Amino acid sequence: MTSVITTRNLCRQFQDGENIVKAVDEVSLNIDAGEFTAIIGPSGSGKSTLLNLIGGLDNPTSGSVELSGTDIAQMSGSELSDFRRDHIGFIFQSYNLIPVLSAEENIEYIMLLQGVNSAARDKRVKEMLHLVGLEGLGDRRPSHLSGGQQQRVAVARAMASHPDIILADEPTANLDSKTGIALLEVMKALNEDRGMTFVFSTHDSKIMDRARRLVHVEDGRIDYEECP
Amino acid sequence: MLIYKLAIRNLFRNTRRTILTVMLIGFSLAALILTNAITGGMIKVMVESVTHTISGEAQIHRLGFRDNLDIDLYLEDSSDIENRLAQDNRVKSYSPRVIAGGMISSSYNVTGGAVYGVDAAKEASVSKLKLAVVQGNYLSEHSTENATEILIGKPMAELLEIGLGDRIVITLAEANTGELTQALFRVSGIFFFGTREIDENMVFINIEKAREVINIYDASHEIALLFHESDITATTTQALLREFNHGETEALDWQDLFPEISSVLVISDFSSFIVGFILFLLASLGVINSMFMSIYERIYEFGVAKAIGTKPIQLLQLVLFEGFLIALMSCAFGIAIGGGIGFYYETRGIPMGEFEFAGIAMNNKIPTVLTLEQFTQFPVYVILLTLVATLYPARFAANIVPSQALQKSL
Repeated sequence: MTSVITTRNLCRQFQDGENIVKAVDEVSLNIDAGEFTAIIGPSGSGKSTLLNLIGGLDNPTSGSVELSGTDIAQMSGSELSDFRRDHIGFIFQSYNLIPVLSAEENIEYIMLLQGVNSAARDKRVKEMLHLVGLEGLGDRRPSHLSGGQQQRVAVARAMASHPDIILADEPTANLDSKTGIALLEVMKALNEDRGMTFVFSTHDSKIMDRARRLVHVEDGRIDYEECP
Repeated sequence: MLIYKLAIRNLFRNTRRTILTVMLIGFSLAALILTNAITGGMIKVMVESVTHTISGEAQIHRLGFRDNLDIDLYLEDSSDIENRLAQDNRVKSYSPRVIAGGMISSSYNVTGGAVYGVDAAKEASVSKLKLAVVQGNYLSEHSTENATEILIGKPMAELLEIGLGDRIVITLAEANTGELTQALFRVSGIFFFGTREIDENMVFINIEKAREVINIYDASHEIALLFHESDITATTTQALLREFNHGETEALDWQDLFPEISSVLVISDFSSFIVGFILFLLASLGVINSMFMSIYERIYEFGVAKAIGTKPIQLLQLVLFEGFLIALMSCAFGIAIGGGIGFYYETRGIPMGEFEFAGIAMNNKIPTVLTLEQFTQFPVYVILLTLVATLYPARFAANIVPSQALQKSL
């Protein structure tokens, strides 16, 4: 298996008054292509900070993060933007679609940043909407879509740039159980059919049930791992 | 480009705030246009009051005459100068004058004053003397009829306790000899300019009579002139005046004749600049505030945009383009309001009442003066200033750290 993510002795410390808080403490982790992995742990355990570091949204205090063989900790802000755009797909808890753009335009946005031509964009937008089961709803703005539909658009947006990995921060937290399961089935299918790598930060049992690898985090350190 | 589409749609996410911001900047632009237009109108009226009341837009004298109105310093070649002026197509009209200080006596009182000998027809084409006559008649144009006619100011008439048809004796010193001489006149008209200096101190008689009394045949002390173009450029004016400015003759434009009025205009320009600066400083703060509110509302969105690969420069462009669109809408609004009001008062004038300013009788209505620069340069300033004001919030948006903006983190 090809390694997509490798972290070595990754640390992230925050200053809290006079105290130093170790949100991530000496984490070394390897995630291979095609994994469907969940980083789990109680609130404040550091799972979201770890995901931020993996996604290049935050800089480590020490240690390294390699994505597809590239050390992102050494990149400048602009280089990181390009890297995230081309290699990482993000799914956020609160959907976070751009409200003034339609579903199609939200999916198209990242491809515009990549400089994909118009015809290819149109084709890929249709393909992504089909993959997440939202054909016919592409012209709707987020405010005219349900929570589940919005999160599907977010999945389609994350997929549209053809990333190496998709990082999802509690993607089902704002969805009801039935909608959450439906969304997870979409992501699971993408993982199985297309080999897309997913890494979740969650404490949702529905995700844990479907994950092939669980990384338990506690007090900023990897407590233990299991492959159910 | 999606960035521009995004900017346009973002503007209407909070329509009320956008409208308020547009109104703030638009009204500032309208206020700037109107302030400039009113100031322009006041300057125009002031300059016209100075130049068209009596003095003209330029004057030609014998060198040194203006220092103490010495009657011996007259233009001996007055006729030659008049002939040249008559043939010069830059000159609209001119009026030769004989000026002498004298004693003006009635049966009841006596006062000192300046006696102006004027050519009735030519004077009417340069000054407002004919229009200022409020009782009786203006001077007759034929010298045989007007030999004893005199126009006197209303306050002087009251001081001398005389009216139309009453007799006045003027005592003057003859030129060159200084011998005293007297002449009898009958009041043919009473004038009122509204300018104390003229109304209380000046009387007007026929120029031939004045020349005869002070013994300077064919000569004059002053030639006042008007140009065809009121806004004649300084270069053209100066070129013309230079032709007459030699030897013992001096030719001066109104700015040299009334330096205090020029100073008032400089102060007026400066105060307009200060008003404009303050207006736009306030508007800029409004823009900064509005843009920051807009950014804070979307801070999570900017965080997401950066997380998925939007570059800082692209966010900077987005916010700047939003500022540019606001500036464009504000300019359209400001031009419509400022131009509309300005255009309305351009022909009707703003009623200001009658008043004397810096010794000048001001018209009771100030027309606004609309110029091309008010509708081209000022909007460009507005756009540039709005972009500068937007730069600060735009940089803030561009420098947002995704993990902090997302708060809850990914």
